[in-house]
Amino acid sequence: MSQTKRQEQKELTRQRIMNTAFRIYAVNGFSTPTNIIAQEAGVSHGAIFVHFPTKEVLQLHVLERFAKEVLKKLHGLSTTSEDISELLHAHINVLHKYEEFYKKMILEIASLPNEAREIIISLQSAMSWHFSTVIEQGQKAGLIKKIPLHMLFNTWIAILHYYLQNADLFAPGASVLDCCGDELINTFVTLISQ
Amino acid sequence: MKTCIACGMPMNDITEYAMNDSSKDYCVHCSRPDGSMQSFEEKRSSLTSFIIKTQGLDKNVALKMAEAMMKKLPAWSEHFA
Repeated sequence: MSQTKRQEQKELTRQRIMNTAFRIYAVNGFSTPTNIIAQEAGVSHGAIFVHFPTKEVLQLHVLERFAKEVLKKLHGLSTTSEDISELLHAHINVLHKYEEFYKKMILEIASLPNEAREIIISLQSAMSWHFSTVIEQGQKAGLIKKIPLHMLFNTWIAILHYYLQNADLFAPGASVLDCCGDELINTFVTLISQ
Repeated sequence: MKTCIACGMPMNDITEYAMNDSSKDYCVHCSRPDGSMQSFEEKRSSLTSFIIKTQGLDKNVALKMAEAMMKKLPAWSEHFA
């Protein structure tokens, strides 16, 4: 096998491990042992450690890739969304695509490496950029209450995460974002509107 | 499509590039009024302030988070060597 072919093969295995880990973390959580991931990916247990020296390194790579995908999708939201309701719908639509994974990530954050918290803050920073752009326009126009930006943003995230973390109470066996997303947005917008 | 070397923002539209110049590797938010790229200190300070303003984090924590984000970006690699 040529050097290029070997490298391609190596990259394919790496991607297969990451895709499998992403899928399994979303269902069973981040504590899933690496031997289960190897089995599901159809590679030897040792192959995982060729690419990812520890379980934590694998978790962080999967989280990084997830964050990159979400950041791409969040990009441009404040230029396409004219009001806060529209922006929050767009936010929920992006998260909806990764709902199970995102849910596990926020539920298990305390048991993940410290760098996972930094990844979440970078995601929140991207969203808060769009959020603050739309909110500041709304405050200038007298449509939104003059409450500090961080409290408005954290209130939105708090409501959203509470429902995601307790999805089994609000929408057992279904998507809590499908079930309650509109109600969360409408309530939040009503609370912050002048 | 390029990604800003200083903040990681995707640059899809010409207006997102510094000075509307698609040959630049950094975005409109990371440039100074004269079109040059902000320094490490300027970027770290503005990013920290932004995190405090929009997410309300403690000042020292916000600074650490800003540095963690910058560490992953090519423009600042020499600052974390």
